[in-house]
Amino acid sequence: MLIIVSLLLTLGLVILYSTSIYNGRVRFGDPAYYFKKQLFASILGIGCMLIVSRLDYHRISDFATWLYLISLGLSLAVLFVGKEYNGSKRWLALGPLSFQPAEFAKIAVILLLASQISRSKSKKKGLRFILWVVLLVLPIVGLVGTNNLSTAIIILGIAVMLVFMANSNYLQFVGIGACGMAFMGVFLAMESYRLERLKIWQNPELYEKGFQTIQGLYAIGSGGLFGIGLGKSLQKLGFVPEAQNDMIFSIICEELGFVGASAVILVFGILLWRILIVALHAQDLLGMLICAGVFGHLSLQIILNLAVVTNSIPNTGITLPFISYGGTSILFLMMEIGLVLSVSAKEKRYLM
Amino acid sequence: MEKNHVYNKKKLLVTSRLILLLLLMLIGRLGYLMLKKGAYYSEKAQILHERERDIKAARGEILDCNGNVLAANKTVCTISLIHSQIQKPEEVVSMLVKELNLSKEEAQKRVDKISSIEKIKSNVKKEVGDRIRNYELSGVKVDEDYQRYYPYESLASKVLGFTGADNQGIVGLEVEYESVLKGTDGKILTVTDAKGVEQEAEGERRQEPVAGKNLHISLDINLQSYAQQQAEKVMTEKQADGASVIIMNPQDGSVYAMVNVPEFNLNNPYELESENLDDEAYQEALNQMWRNRCISDTYEPGSTFKIFTSAAGLEAGVVTTPDSFSCPGYRVVEDRRIHCHNRRGHGSENFIQGIENSCNPVFIDVGLRLGVDGFFKYLKQFGVMEQTGVDLPGEAKTIMHKKKNVGLVELATMSFGQSFQITPIQLAVTASAVINGGRRVTPHLALYSSSGDRKCVEKLIPQDEKQVLSEATSSTMRMLLESVVANGSGKNGGLEGYRIGGKTATSQTLPRSANRYISSFLGFAPADNPQVLVLCIVYNPTGIYYGSMVVAPVVRDIFSNILPYMGIEKTVDN
Repeated sequence: MLIIVSLLLTLGLVILYSTSIYNGRVRFGDPAYYFKKQLFASILGIGCMLIVSRLDYHRISDFATWLYLISLGLSLAVLFVGKEYNGSKRWLALGPLSFQPAEFAKIAVILLLASQISRSKSKKKGLRFILWVVLLVLPIVGLVGTNNLSTAIIILGIAVMLVFMANSNYLQFVGIGACGMAFMGVFLAMESYRLERLKIWQNPELYEKGFQTIQGLYAIGSGGLFGIGLGKSLQKLGFVPEAQNDMIFSIICEELGFVGASAVILVFGILLWRILIVALHAQDLLGMLICAGVFGHLSLQIILNLAVVTNSIPNTGITLPFISYGGTSILFLMMEIGLVLSVSAKEKRYLM
Repeated sequence: MEKNHVYNKKKLLVTSRLILLLLLMLIGRLGYLMLKKGAYYSEKAQILHERERDIKAARGEILDCNGNVLAANKTVCTISLIHSQIQKPEEVVSMLVKELNLSKEEAQKRVDKISSIEKIKSNVKKEVGDRIRNYELSGVKVDEDYQRYYPYESLASKVLGFTGADNQGIVGLEVEYESVLKGTDGKILTVTDAKGVEQEAEGERRQEPVAGKNLHISLDINLQSYAQQQAEKVMTEKQADGASVIIMNPQDGSVYAMVNVPEFNLNNPYELESENLDDEAYQEALNQMWRNRCISDTYEPGSTFKIFTSAAGLEAGVVTTPDSFSCPGYRVVEDRRIHCHNRRGHGSENFIQGIENSCNPVFIDVGLRLGVDGFFKYLKQFGVMEQTGVDLPGEAKTIMHKKKNVGLVELATMSFGQSFQITPIQLAVTASAVINGGRRVTPHLALYSSSGDRKCVEKLIPQDEKQVLSEATSSTMRMLLESVVANGSGKNGGLEGYRIGGKTATSQTLPRSANRYISSFLGFAPADNPQVLVLCIVYNPTGIYYGSMVVAPVVRDIFSNILPYMGIEKTVDN
């Protein structure tokens, strides 16, 4: 587990450095600008991970409600005193550092739901329970969703996955799925720009706003089987906007080719598999649900990011865990891994 | 603390299988994008990244039969600015003002203009280009280019032609052999980022230009320049509108010289003597100046065409050399009285004397004996009705009566070369067939193309000779035309020590009332085995206008100069 995480972290830093050299040089006169910040966040993250992994997850989950309330407060605060960057108000400034409450919200929701579900003994079946969970997460989804729809969808997704696992029924979820689809339809139809996004998705070359998608596809297509070599990407030279962020995987494709990109996906797969193993061997339901939450969070974000980059779904801003630029994201991802390690420390070894 | 239920684990596994499936689908999608559609996307990406600059290919040279370069290239420079790379705009502006004589406002405007590449000036002298390069200002590009250059300026101007701003042929051989002379431009492809800044680390990709092939032509600058001198001389002396000379090899159609005075300066083809013309008149004047009259203008050949009538008559057997004719100074055909140029008449004469005297009634008789059908049969057989196929653009077609409209009067006038029009080159080629043993040759200038080392790449000589006349008739015609020069109207074309054949002509242009004439002489030597044929035409001479008086001496002068040069020995002892 630690090996895989350090591998991903190193890989992420190398790729981030390669991708952000150009933007760093052009914008800040320092090719390593992004790299340094990410490196700092990573080191901080490793520290946090180690601390969290030593703690008992039962003790942490006792604070789940408080953590959730703090995240609600921060998400609310960001609406008023948030710092704008690239047209979105998502950051809270803390001196020289900036902080994205939405990332914090994810881990808070995982902990909250895991503790709530594992405590509520009898009411785990039926719509009532599901409604309760929905009510629990609705405030944060609403708050985060006002300026960061993609993260809100992920939080919602984590919640649905956790409820699904806590519950023995299948049929209800088919119903929830259907409701979700209907809701999406109405939601899309309400605003014309969302429908426009769909059209761009189908035919990105025809629309000016398809620029990012198309540039990503150019980068992916340029990679071929083995890529043009680490650091040699041309698309990162301002063609793919913000190459170090959401679209970073397209640069991986360009530089490392199909083989390299598949290898990155494989590493993610191994990480998910390791988390899954920990979840299955967890001492109790709380541990399992925490791991399942982390598992759900990572897999959702990986899949959605890859799907966006390959234009398999309409464009929406989702970062690639451990690799995309973002200090807060790295910090809390590492904490989530710390939680999983904490669960793993108490697992029933005799089953192995 | 609640324990795990089995269904919890089962559901976790269900979820993870779903996720595994989705990941595999995404890898599949990735494979499709990268491997199947990769070529499509990477090509598009490359177009996006690369800025293209042309490297001009050198145009092939044109060389005469001795290897003298008639059309060459000199290096010039094109100056361009790349806005995104300019670092010191003030220095660029002052450089442009100083070196390219731009006004300060103009230079400032060009420097400020936001474009990916802004061409400032082309055809800049190499020295200036080198100086600009030495400023080492970033964002200023100096690309070398070639400009056509004609060392002999006006020599054979209408044959060679010249090229336009993009080095493409405009008139003459330059356009006829565009595909031979033109090379393939190369490219410099430099990688840029999204802002257009070149990425030096990526280097540049060059597609080397392929130079055009050289064109070797049969023209001989010595013959050409001498013929041009003589043509200019007669034009000045006779205050004529112009004069043309064709010197060719009647055996194979090689053109040694083609003069149309006044010629123009190929290095300055848009300069006219007259000024203040509106656009249309200016263009018309240019077209007139560039016009190759030997090829593009038709005229009534007059008596030189009697060569054809004689050959056709002899070939058809309707006339033999001893046949006797009588000339009272005119011939009545149907209701018309057609005069001989000698109003008093030539009296009784045989066919040899008839052609020596260039007696119209004799040829009217021969024409009438051939009949409309016979006359047209030979026109067709000799190829007079078709273009000669000379390798120059803009050859005019023969203007001839429709056969069904030809009555005896028209036939009579046609038989001494009037009432229809042909080009000078057509006359020269028709006469060549008559004297070379009966072979219709294709007149041509191009001999072969060559690569940079001047080694032959492709032969360009046409191989389509056609027998149109018997050798016997041709032989008789050589004898007859020799006697025209020895004893008859072509006397002034004769040159001591050489056997020369020929025929004069004086034709009146339409309308007849204008009293404008075209005087011409067609001569060849040696008469028994013709190696060179000279056709000289003087347009609208003032004063005496007879071909025998005006043009025959010119051709004699040309012969006296070129025959020794060509190594044709004197054969007749004084």
